[in-house]
Amino acid sequence: MTPHFEHHAGVRHFIHGGLPQGPRLLDCTVPDSQELRIVLPLASNVAEQLIKALEGRRYGSAVGRILCGGASHLSYHRMVVTDQPERPYDYGAPVVLDGYITFISGAITVGRDTQGAPLLHCHAGFLDRDGRQHGGHLVLDKLVVGSEPMVIRLCLFDHVAYQVQPDDETHFNLLHPVFQEVS
Amino acid sequence: MNAVATVEESEVLGGRLGRLVIARLKPNEDIIDSAEALCAAHGITLAVVRGGLGSLIDAQLCYLGRNGMQQIKVDGPGVEILSLSGEISQGASRLQAVVADCDGNLYAGRLERGANLSFITVELTLQEWLPD
Repeated sequence: MTPHFEHHAGVRHFIHGGLPQGPRLLDCTVPDSQELRIVLPLASNVAEQLIKALEGRRYGSAVGRILCGGASHLSYHRMVVTDQPERPYDYGAPVVLDGYITFISGAITVGRDTQGAPLLHCHAGFLDRDGRQHGGHLVLDKLVVGSEPMVIRLCLFDHVAYQVQPDDETHFNLLHPVFQEVS
Repeated sequence: MNAVATVEESEVLGGRLGRLVIARLKPNEDIIDSAEALCAAHGITLAVVRGGLGSLIDAQLCYLGRNGMQQIKVDGPGVEILSLSGEISQGASRLQAVVADCDGNLYAGRLERGANLSFITVELTLQEWLPD
């Protein structure tokens, strides 16, 4: 199928290259959660520190927010048009920022890769030192805390994980909720 | 003569957080409709958003201005969800978002029902609110 747009009731839909398959909502439930507040110090690498904070804890995955903080270096991606017929939109080249960066908001999912290792997915918005706005897919491996500590809240849950799996409809590898025992 | 405003009593509700619903929205699914459908499927009458991350085809936000509700249209595809918050209650959900367009510009506002469709994926996690 050729990816294309359709309009229904005045709202734009996008039909991807792969066949749409049901159900359209995938979900799992767990009875409760565990909460963490993590304060990352200046000059720390956010991915490394988050993984370290989660080591030894029993959890399948986690979701959370960047509540506040600054950065001295980061790299993020925005969606661009590609020349790939099966995947006409994808993340472009990284946008790299240095200097004083102030966070406005951020969402984090701690999923699992195919080997069961933690996989970090983050979208965030921030201001650079000239006050310009930026927002997109943030690479936590390249995020260095600066100016002030960064506070992250995570909601951990067990028995269910956001597991990365290939998605035949979009041709991306995406996080899917699955029941899972993680020790 | 100055009008006297009538102030209603605040509603104070004790309770606790209950079950988590951990979900993925496939393409072309609306966030509010999906959140309400997930809650209905699990018999949840009130829930809060614990996590919302993904991309939208386009975003349609709104806010109350001097001349009524004003729309903020953010063109995609690939509008990134940077923050999602609010409550889910059947037919009366109120969700707010911060999003970024494909140039990295930020927008914020309340989501309009039926007009914020998942582009590639949305990871949505809701948690039940259980009143005492």
